[in-house]
Amino acid sequence: MCPGCGHDQISNVIIQAAWENGLPPEGIAKMSGIGCSSKTPAYFLGKSHGFNTVHGRMPSVTTGANMVNKDLTFIAVSGDGDTASIGMGQFVHAIRRNLNMVYIIENNGVYGLTKGQYSATVEKGSKKKKGAVNTQNPIDLCAMALNLGCSFVARSFSGSKKQLTALLRAAISHKGMAVIDVISPCVTFANNDESYRSYNYVKENDEVLHIVDYISHYSPIEEVDIPEGQFKEIELFDGSKIILETIGSNHDTTDVVSALTAVHEAERNDKHVTGLLYYNGEIPTTTETLGLTNAPLCSLNEEEGRPSEESLIEVNQRFRSS
Amino acid sequence: MDSNVNNFVINIATANGTGSQSSNLVILHTMFEMGIPVSGKNLFPSNISGLPTWFIIRASEAGYQAPGDKTDIQIVMNKDTWEKDITNLESGTIIIFNEDAKLPVDRDDCFAFGMPMTKMARKINPKMAKLMANMYYVGGLAHILGIDSNDILKAVKSQFKGKEKAIEMNMQAINEGIAYASENWDIKSDFKAESRPKDSDTFLIEGNEATALGTIYGGINMLSWYPITPSSSVAEGIIKWLPELRTAKDGGTTCAVIQAEDELAAAGMVLGAGWAGGRGMTCTSGPGISLMSEFIGLSYFAEVPGVIWDVNRVGPSTGLPTRTQQGDLSMLYEASHGDTQHIVLIPGNVDECFEFGWKAFDLAERYQTMVFGFSDLDLGMNRWPTKGFKYPESEMDRGKLIRNQQELDAVPNYGRYRDVDGDGIPYRTLPGSGIDPILYRGTGHDEDGVYSEDPIVYQKTMKRLKKKIDGARDNLPSPILREEENKELGIIFYGSMENSITEIDDILESKGFSVSTCRIRALPYHSELESFISRHDISVVLEMNRDGQLYGILRKELPTQLLKKLHSVAYSDGMPPRARLYSEKIISVLEELK
Repeated sequence: MCPGCGHDQISNVIIQAAWENGLPPEGIAKMSGIGCSSKTPAYFLGKSHGFNTVHGRMPSVTTGANMVNKDLTFIAVSGDGDTASIGMGQFVHAIRRNLNMVYIIENNGVYGLTKGQYSATVEKGSKKKKGAVNTQNPIDLCAMALNLGCSFVARSFSGSKKQLTALLRAAISHKGMAVIDVISPCVTFANNDESYRSYNYVKENDEVLHIVDYISHYSPIEEVDIPEGQFKEIELFDGSKIILETIGSNHDTTDVVSALTAVHEAERNDKHVTGLLYYNGEIPTTTETLGLTNAPLCSLNEEEGRPSEESLIEVNQRFRSS
Repeated sequence: MDSNVNNFVINIATANGTGSQSSNLVILHTMFEMGIPVSGKNLFPSNISGLPTWFIIRASEAGYQAPGDKTDIQIVMNKDTWEKDITNLESGTIIIFNEDAKLPVDRDDCFAFGMPMTKMARKINPKMAKLMANMYYVGGLAHILGIDSNDILKAVKSQFKGKEKAIEMNMQAINEGIAYASENWDIKSDFKAESRPKDSDTFLIEGNEATALGTIYGGINMLSWYPITPSSSVAEGIIKWLPELRTAKDGGTTCAVIQAEDELAAAGMVLGAGWAGGRGMTCTSGPGISLMSEFIGLSYFAEVPGVIWDVNRVGPSTGLPTRTQQGDLSMLYEASHGDTQHIVLIPGNVDECFEFGWKAFDLAERYQTMVFGFSDLDLGMNRWPTKGFKYPESEMDRGKLIRNQQELDAVPNYGRYRDVDGDGIPYRTLPGSGIDPILYRGTGHDEDGVYSEDPIVYQKTMKRLKKKIDGARDNLPSPILREEENKELGIIFYGSMENSITEIDDILESKGFSVSTCRIRALPYHSELESFISRHDISVVLEMNRDGQLYGILRKELPTQLLKKLHSVAYSDGMPPRARLYSEKIISVLEELK
């Protein structure tokens, strides 16, 4: 990656979060599409299998893999081009199915690998170092995920290591689709101060919803300072907890309307709201909805995967007599 | 041969969505159960209700399954096509028409018989008169052909399974139809349906349902699909049979079914399933293959197993969505950008739909690539006879799959893409196993799966892939040969042309040609094909498309000295191949050669 790229910081956080959550590398599947962000799985968790698929189609490949091995932890990395343009359809439908995966969007507002074209998430009026002003409305992927009923929606910043680590750890513990939209400055094409996704801009305009801490289920006493003021505790699927310490207004993570309000208000004020926007641990995942057998389908043997010869005799006979 | 007993063609013209399909299937199944060699073809529009539809039933003592070249009995129910349906008939045709249409039948040279079908149906059930009216032509037809109402009862019971009221009403309509015809029609026809000893093993089934069952016995773990005619019934067949055949002891299913957002996603899911060690499949038609092409290339290059079942409809573009063709073959064989080559299995009957349905998964895992099933609308959506499906003769072939460290240690100098055995097929490990993890990619990669743009590495990879797929040739279903002693003319064909080839063969033999046939059942082609062509003076590649797609593939791959013997007869109008038409095309090519 280019020196200083936000994506590298995210890769470090992924390594950290996986290690801190105690995930064995063989239990993780790294998924990505095409673009700068999607190249990063080559640089983290080298002991995990991964699939760098095709542009915008990572969610479908993850879906197929998840169906035949639901025991894997799917950590997927995509970009704003890969998700908000070419991959919009698959992003939307993976959310609708509540696929059990972590979907990280490394969002910098530009196509880096093809040398700096605007993506669909860039703000109207944005001006890169070179080139024309963007005239189209941006797509806010968090607002979109919220509208689609996504079970875990967060926004963070590649420069906020502590917040991002806690959110990512919680996302890994979550059962269902966890979307984390991470603002990740492109140092080469869009780090000029007037760009909303430059380091300087994000640092000055980050509206932090709450301070996020994560307590793992296997080691409840960590070096987490339980805040004294108002805080909220959310228990995740594996027994881990997220602690949200309120700063300023009290954000209700169970209320999708207030989550949307937070996103749209920030947008109106040219800010980025970060933190856990919405969480619902009660929605069944795709494999649960489909009622799959308990063992991962890829582990079935001949007898479990192929019906008996007697059953075929019976099928033939039924056609004959009907 | 010239007898009109069990030798006739019935054409039934109705409007889509009027319930006529039930009546047509009752006729088809009645004759089938009587032991009469019969075939039915549904020519339906791309529409839910209102557009014209025709059902062609052919009885043939010789077992010919192609649609006949002329109609013997025409049933006219549809006002919209009334005039054309009647005008086009040959002199002497029997016409059965619904009098309530109040339209003229001006054909003094034909034998026309009317019945107030709607009026009579209204008396049984006013609300369902439009649907019930169709059962009256079943009665009329039964009278003409001399079919006993008891023989019809079984087919009606089968059509309206368990719905006693419906069975009773429909039988009443049929019996009233028979009674009306015998009282009012002065008919002297020698078209007769006569019972024959029926092989009690044989039953009729649509190719798509046979495919569905085949995949279930092939251990399918993941079906992703996007609805498209004429392939949807493959998916629906799988969904129908899964609860009974693939429920595990804990009550959960062993096959995930996902209706995808589009064909791109459906293909992506197949790759995901194959990558993770499962057996994934999607079914589609030509437009879907166009959309899936990107993933097909990824499957080829990253060597991920998967199955795509293509039920061909007429292209290009949206084309004629409810008509048949063999127009996808060259696309399947070389789908996606860059140099690719894919294994294509081509069933010619419902038994092979079943067999290739399970075999496709074995081949996909053996060769770690996308394997296509290539059927078409005629085979997939019409009903064909089988004596019953045969259980797979061998256990599932998982190919060169390494499941544990011990197996890995047994492979010297392992690398995900290293040709250790010299057959071009590398070994693979699975995510979740912890064994030799790599990042799969569609970008250039070396033998260990590491990104590479090295010219030598790329060229070596592509050469190995060619070797791998070429090496599959003689492990794929071999051609079915029917050879004459006099090796004058060989016809090379494939797929649902099987249903017309016997009749084509007989027509050509009656004109003095000595005809051998060779039915290709897979690509890349089997080595036996080359010897077949060598043995014959002339070989004609007969297919249902405009450009001679198989002919083109063979021209590219056959040894040059055989090419001068090879000729193309390709024709497609959306209809299943009429034997006479295709025979004439062959004869005209042969005459040009003289």
